[in-house]
Amino acid sequence: MVPKFLEGVRITDLTWAGAGPYSTKVFSDLGAEVLKVESRVRPDPVRGGKPYKDGVPGLDRSGYFASRNNGKKSVAVDLKSPGARDLILALAAQSDVISNNFAPGAMERLKLGYEELRAVKPDIVYLGMPMYGEDGPLAGMLGVGMTIAAVAGMIDRTGYHDGPPLGPGTHFPDHAVNPYHAAFAVLAALRHRRLTGRGMKIDLAQVESTLNSMGVPFMEWSATGVEPAREGNRSRSHAPHNIFRCRSEDAWCAVAVLGDEEWQALCRTMGRDDLAGRGDLRLAEGRLGHVEEVEAAVAAWIAGRTPEEAMAELQAAGIAAGVVSSAANLMDHDPQLRARGYWQVIDHPEMGETRFSSPPYLVDGERVELKRPPLLGEHTEEVLARVLGYSPDRIAALRDAALLR
Amino acid sequence: MTEPPVRPFRGIRLIDLTLELGAYATRLFADLGAEVIRVEPPGGRADRRAGPPLDPARPEAGGAAFAFLAAGKASIVLDDASEAGRAALRDLVSTAQVVVYDADERRSWMVPLLTGIPGDRVVTVLSWFGLTGPYADFAGCDLVAQALGGIAYLSGTAEGPPLRIGGGQSAIVASIYGAVGTAAALADVERQGGRHLLDVSAQEAIAHSLQNAPQVYDLEHAVPRRGVAAAPLMQGIVTCRDGAVLIAGPPFMADQWNNLVRWMADEGHPGGTRLRDPEWTAPDAQADHALRAEFRDIIADFLGHRPRAAVLEEAMRRKILIAPVNAMADLPHDPQLVHRRFFRGVAHPALGRDLVFPGAPYRLSEPVWQTAAAPALADVAAAAEEG
Repeated sequence: MVPKFLEGVRITDLTWAGAGPYSTKVFSDLGAEVLKVESRVRPDPVRGGKPYKDGVPGLDRSGYFASRNNGKKSVAVDLKSPGARDLILALAAQSDVISNNFAPGAMERLKLGYEELRAVKPDIVYLGMPMYGEDGPLAGMLGVGMTIAAVAGMIDRTGYHDGPPLGPGTHFPDHAVNPYHAAFAVLAALRHRRLTGRGMKIDLAQVESTLNSMGVPFMEWSATGVEPAREGNRSRSHAPHNIFRCRSEDAWCAVAVLGDEEWQALCRTMGRDDLAGRGDLRLAEGRLGHVEEVEAAVAAWIAGRTPEEAMAELQAAGIAAGVVSSAANLMDHDPQLRARGYWQVIDHPEMGETRFSSPPYLVDGERVELKRPPLLGEHTEEVLARVLGYSPDRIAALRDAALLR
Repeated sequence: MTEPPVRPFRGIRLIDLTLELGAYATRLFADLGAEVIRVEPPGGRADRRAGPPLDPARPEAGGAAFAFLAAGKASIVLDDASEAGRAALRDLVSTAQVVVYDADERRSWMVPLLTGIPGDRVVTVLSWFGLTGPYADFAGCDLVAQALGGIAYLSGTAEGPPLRIGGGQSAIVASIYGAVGTAAALADVERQGGRHLLDVSAQEAIAHSLQNAPQVYDLEHAVPRRGVAAAPLMQGIVTCRDGAVLIAGPPFMADQWNNLVRWMADEGHPGGTRLRDPEWTAPDAQADHALRAEFRDIIADFLGHRPRAAVLEEAMRRKILIAPVNAMADLPHDPQLVHRRFFRGVAHPALGRDLVFPGAPYRLSEPVWQTAAAPALADVAAAAEEG
């Protein structure tokens, strides 16, 4: 399906790199018009980010860029050139939302601060999403997803139960809470505008957003004053609960026994009547006290199986278990994602047929159909003509003045 | 007297049938003005007591997860095991614009019931693997969703097992994607009527959060793995005198390397000379184990003896990506969060005192975000009977 949930909403989108473009992608996926402003002088830096189609670099060949910008319209404007400000103000005047993820103060230096935008569009919704918020002693700190995770406590909470903090292997907050907190705030602001006629400024400090994703461990500390133990793949409530090595290289299966009945089912599946009969293992508390022993039993049973075999046997017995999937497994083998049509293939002029992740839900039983990401500057003329009513001569003059490039 | 502010989701009633997966989604609506009503069986829903308690000596005060995820919501007791209870649930949902339900294998009748109630509405159902497909009836949990979603494979050491990210992230990401989809579908329902069913999968939400791993596989046919060797050379955790910091120097930010080397040179550290050698910035340096090990030694020698605050201050001045690796106890002292008055004291009657909560995930120019303690069970049930 091609949803029109957000039809009629227009965003002038100055975001770039990771978290910002992911938040506005939701809008283009769900029917809004997103005008992505970038330029050949200063392209979105992830256009220069790996991976490239067949490993060959090119501004229109980056999968990093492509996966964050489906369906947007690329308008090539050199923001630093004289006259760019007027053009952005003109686009903003025809938009409902203007978004950026620059460092604090950058929009003001471009003379595109909230008040200046309000002067041309009084009910504009303004989204800024710097690392640490726009004011305060550390507002100038540079940030990427990983440093945001460090500040917000996510790295400290991520590590094996008996080891040091390791953190996520990715810039996780960039692809999880931060873009979607931003998108939710914009959707809320648009509804608020329908009720009141007023716009809103959203200052999404990515640290504050990420800290909310750590709200549960934070509340535990807040209530008890005790730093929660790092659980790793284990659980403080359930055992066995871990990731186990399976047959063949780097093959693993997660197993989580979430109740005392499941423990009995696990013992039956493993053919371990001896453990099933043990009174000291009947309740979770007892198993947690013998966690090494119960994990060793699972490890011994699972070592001769593939992750797929182990998952099938355990799930048939009602036990939560899952293959630890690599990207290759997810894209080529996972039967669940395949059955639900999760990966979509889109033909792209430079990249050819390329696979994309769908929004993680079905709407009325159907996939949200993704659109192709834009080539750099692909929509400049079309947008200036249609949205601003500029004549071909005027557009040519702007191009000659090196404003559009 | 000033009028109370008009909040973004004023006029929206949301029936909350969530457990673990959708509870954060409905909290986001509650904090911005929706009337969020938890429907609970007699004795309360299990999520009240799940996980570590707020006070180990008083388990009746509920769990830390419940305190955070149910903040600002209301609660009503309805026994959906009885036909009368289900009829009351139908009546309640028929007054609501949104209903959010965590799929529960013991309530297979629920989705048809919810989607069969007349009226304009968004019905959002969250489950570990989705309502369709061969895994639809699989048992799930955070660990299993992070495994089958592909994020666990990318975290941990190269030699050790894959590792899940802390803080229950599969429920958080399923919730936040679900909340955004629900708010967008609601805009459509409010504009032109009708009903939408969102079928949110936690596995898919995790699979959507893999940075660029699917694209690396699709476009370059390589399979991203976990471990230090998979990370940029200039990235890692360094222990300073009184705490750890993370240094993150993505290879595409060349200034990061230069700024760090200049800092070392300015202070007369041998790294300031050694790291100027072109071999460090050659294309194959990132994959060179010996260089990686040497860099770790140099940076540990350079930063290890210093107070953490001094490292952070100088790094910020020199525009180098270094951040504190904060524990929970560090957060209320973070100077930026203190300056922004981020944390909020929320009266918590079940504990008899205030609890410090994380503040809003976004600061809005209109005073429309607010939260309150999670609802007690008996009080609200009594109020519902009166009302």
